[in-house]
Amino acid sequence: MTTGIELRNLRKLFEGHGHASWAVDGVDMTIGAGKFVTLLGPSGCGKTTTLRMIAGLEMPTSGQIFRDGQDITDQPVTDRDMRMVFQDFALFPNMTIEDNVAFGLRVKSKKGKYTEPQIQQRVAEFLDLVHLKDHAHKKPHQLSGGQKQRVSLARALVTDPKVVLFDEPLGSLDANLRKIMQLELIRLHRELGKTFIYVTHDQDEAMAMSDAIAVMSQGKVMQFGTPREIYDRPANRYVASFIGHAHIVDATVDSKQADSLSVRLRNGDRVGLRGKADAAPGSAVGLMLRAEDLAFADAATDTIGGRVVDSLYRGEYVEYVVALNGNSGVVHVHARTDLPPVAHGSAVALKVNPAKAHVVVH
Amino acid sequence: MTAMTTIERPVELKGTSIRSARAIERRRLLLWLVPPLAWFTVFMLIPYATLLYTSLGHVDDMRFIPGLSLDNFVRVFTVDPYLSVILKSARIGLMTAVFSSIVAYPLAFYLAFHVRTQRLKFLIYLLVIVPWWASYLVKAYAWKTILGSGGILNVGMQNLGLVHEPVRLFLYNEFSVDMTLTYIFTPFAVLSIYAQLERVPTSLIEAARNLGADGWMIFRRIILPISVPGVVAGAIITFSLAFGDFVAPVLVGGPDSVMISNVVINLLGVAFDWPMAAAIGLVIITLGLLLISASGWLEEKTQTRF
Ligand SMILES: Nc1ncnc2c1ncn2[C@@H]1O[C@H](COP(=O)(O)OP(=O)(O)OP(=O)(O)O)[C@@H](O)[C@H]1O
Ligand SMILES: [Mg+2]
Repeated sequence: MTTGIELRNLRKLFEGHGHASWAVDGVDMTIGAGKFVTLLGPSGCGKTTTLRMIAGLEMPTSGQIFRDGQDITDQPVTDRDMRMVFQDFALFPNMTIEDNVAFGLRVKSKKGKYTEPQIQQRVAEFLDLVHLKDHAHKKPHQLSGGQKQRVSLARALVTDPKVVLFDEPLGSLDANLRKIMQLELIRLHRELGKTFIYVTHDQDEAMAMSDAIAVMSQGKVMQFGTPREIYDRPANRYVASFIGHAHIVDATVDSKQADSLSVRLRNGDRVGLRGKADAAPGSAVGLMLRAEDLAFADAATDTIGGRVVDSLYRGEYVEYVVALNGNSGVVHVHARTDLPPVAHGSAVALKVNPAKAHVVVH
Repeated sequence: MTAMTTIERPVELKGTSIRSARAIERRRLLLWLVPPLAWFTVFMLIPYATLLYTSLGHVDDMRFIPGLSLDNFVRVFTVDPYLSVILKSARIGLMTAVFSSIVAYPLAFYLAFHVRTQRLKFLIYLLVIVPWWASYLVKAYAWKTILGSGGILNVGMQNLGLVHEPVRLFLYNEFSVDMTLTYIFTPFAVLSIYAQLERVPTSLIEAARNLGADGWMIFRRIILPISVPGVVAGAIITFSLAFGDFVAPVLVGGPDSVMISNVVINLLGVAFDWPMAAAIGLVIITLGLLLISASGWLEEKTQTRF
């Protein structure tokens, strides 16, 4: 028996106007109890649909959902004890903030769980938790976006659910507020120890907050791992190019040792890197090169050659765009701003950090 | 430099200052205002002024004598049966409004929340408004045959053995007027309530279900409060239409179910007491304005802001 949420070969077919498409196409995932797991992917990849199936708002076409080892696929949404934070907040416009937060408790109180004074006290406690004590008697339309966001958070958390589901909850907030709310969510997750399942298409947000990230594309999970695994060791070209600003250069495996290997670019330059790859010598792979893992080198040995075609001053660093020799690809390089600038058109040699370079097979 | 000149030039070249441009705008605006003002004058101002003028005079030997007397208005409130008929009309209007809301709400609710496909929605919507293509008289007559001694209601009850003789209770009384008017004006209530229910976002219902609420709680705590202004608006429309009706009382009403419009028609066509008719009209219009203001205030007050 596993604790937490388990998705088994979850699929969802949407039909309409004579055409049907799989919004979610075989998702397998185990989300440990108390973890912060993020579904990350571009628009339309099936994140919301997956989340809605977990919540019980959408019925899977096939596959199963387990919670703590129990099959809950057919359990009605009202019995699931998972709270969803909607992208548009979905606050009840006719009720005060207080009544919005109390709603889930009043539902339960019908079943004799809380008395009215207990409800009042709990609501006050949670409004305090999200710093909205002074707004208890306002209506939702009188609040700012960030405040509404926190009301919907309090409304979800006040009923003490084991699992909280978030559908792009920060999507409509400005950049500063987003940062603040991200920290707030991390704090709440740490303090409350609940399972958070979070949907976003913002990879920085996913990286910063999650214990694990599922990178999705076209209804499938392309990789499920910790932010570090996803960033440093992407499982395939899709994940590598989606996460961070990685450039993938075509290469062939040259030689392979126990924990290192050497690949050759199309122009013949060789790159050595640490780690394992699931590719035999001679097979074609993609070499993932990130700007921060490349540096200009003086000597031409153990480097790859190219020509500077563009440069961008970023404040923190200068970003050079380098076309590799022999049409082998384009990479970006970050250089310190106090170094003398490199002129456009200059031939340069690039050193690759062997610990960070990575090959992808698919 | 060149960019700057191109920005500044046009204003100078035209040789018109911003102020004169505004004056042109204002003149153009006046031109646009002429049709609505003309409409207002011809169809609102002049008729109401005429009505007031008429109501202040009196009739002597079938001839209109102009005057400045408030006698007619005093008579509306003191001479039988004017006030009592106004009150009865209001009661019939109120009953119609209440019955219409009760009949319309479930239908509007079903239309807004349970009809999934757009096509079916359109079809039901059409069925609601299609009776309006039939003449009012035909519909009122139809109720005569339904409620009458040989009507399906009586025949059905006789066949079921519930009664042995046709029941006269259904026809020629105030209740039959209420029924007929409810039938005829319910579509207005349906459309008004439906328009309001359509504003409830699906995500609200999903959020409530996610918080564990059952259907009844969602209805009572969320949908019903949000829909109140739609019910109010629908009730006002049906009330006003029923209040001013004069056909149903004649066709299906009893001898005593005369409504205020029938009285006015009699004053105009039979008694030739135009000033009295005008005074009743003005009283009703004033009451109507008060009612509309009150309901507007109530709608505003109960309207949910999203
Ligand atoms: N109710 C529906 N009926 C038909 N198709 C749907 C429905 N809901 C979603 N889809 C389709 O399923 C696919 C996945 O949708 P989903 O909403 O899960 O994407 P998403 O990853 O959440 O995207 P976004 O980041 O834009 O919110 C999309 O192609 C979408 O068009
Ligand atoms: Mg989505």
